[in-house]
Amino acid sequence: MAGRSAEVLLGLGFAGIMTTLFLGFQWAPSVAIDAFESPAAQRIFYWHVPAAWAAFIAFAVLFTGSAMWFFKRSPLGWRLHVAGAEAGLACGLIAVWSGCVWGAAEWGTPWDWTDVRLNTFGLLTLLALFLVLGRQSQPDGVESRDTFSTFGLFGFVLVPFTYIATRIWEIRHPGPVVGAGDDGGSLSGDMAIVLFIGALSFTIFIIGHILISMRITSLEQRLEQALHHIDGGK
Amino acid sequence: MDGMTYLTVAYLGMIAGIAIWTWTVVNRSRTIEARLTAVESSMGIIASEADSISKEHKD
Repeated sequence: MAGRSAEVLLGLGFAGIMTTLFLGFQWAPSVAIDAFESPAAQRIFYWHVPAAWAAFIAFAVLFTGSAMWFFKRSPLGWRLHVAGAEAGLACGLIAVWSGCVWGAAEWGTPWDWTDVRLNTFGLLTLLALFLVLGRQSQPDGVESRDTFSTFGLFGFVLVPFTYIATRIWEIRHPGPVVGAGDDGGSLSGDMAIVLFIGALSFTIFIIGHILISMRITSLEQRLEQALHHIDGGK
Repeated sequence: MDGMTYLTVAYLGMIAGIAIWTWTVVNRSRTIEARLTAVESSMGIIASEADSISKEHKD
């Protein structure tokens, strides 16, 4: 039942994501042709920003799960940790990929080592990659879980740092376009609506993914115990 | 490359990423569920006691 709910959320989120793509191409207005080096490529933004938003949600789940495991030895916490790392990696890679392509079109380079937001977000994605690959390559045990949870706890420091980076150092990344303060940002109304639909859709989509990942971890634990019984353990 | 080419490359990459990620997760879930159902049905294991590591190290 829970598995079916997660799959329904995945389906709803995916439908919303595709709707965002359609609206971004067909309905949202074009940017002023002299405002960007590559005005057409600006439409990457309708998935790039929501994917980065979803990655932040995943990293918050990772942080919560890491804390619950580390301080409470909570099985739910460990499942949240695993699901947060996997979802953070997927959404992080989507945001980094689309950002690199946009950077190549707009800045003339896919990566700028001096841009703080770019690099802290890249580090967060690498952290998620380390946690996903590390868990797959290490035997499951309390020591390995503690180690990975510690990385999940301290790595979260990069999230607020990434969020405020363009407010302090606006190097390559544009400054805030929504929630920017009194002027309300630089987005037109129609662009903001498409962006909001995208953010909502990616949020639903990632919740579905997190629920399924938690279920997979639970099933893996049950399967491991069953195999342990078959091997003669207790 | 012009802007539309960059746009196409970016979205094709993202669509492929989302598709691979979703297919992998859903497929893993269904495969492991089928394996587990077959094994557990003959052993009587209780699901809530499955995470032996957290059970052993709970304060």
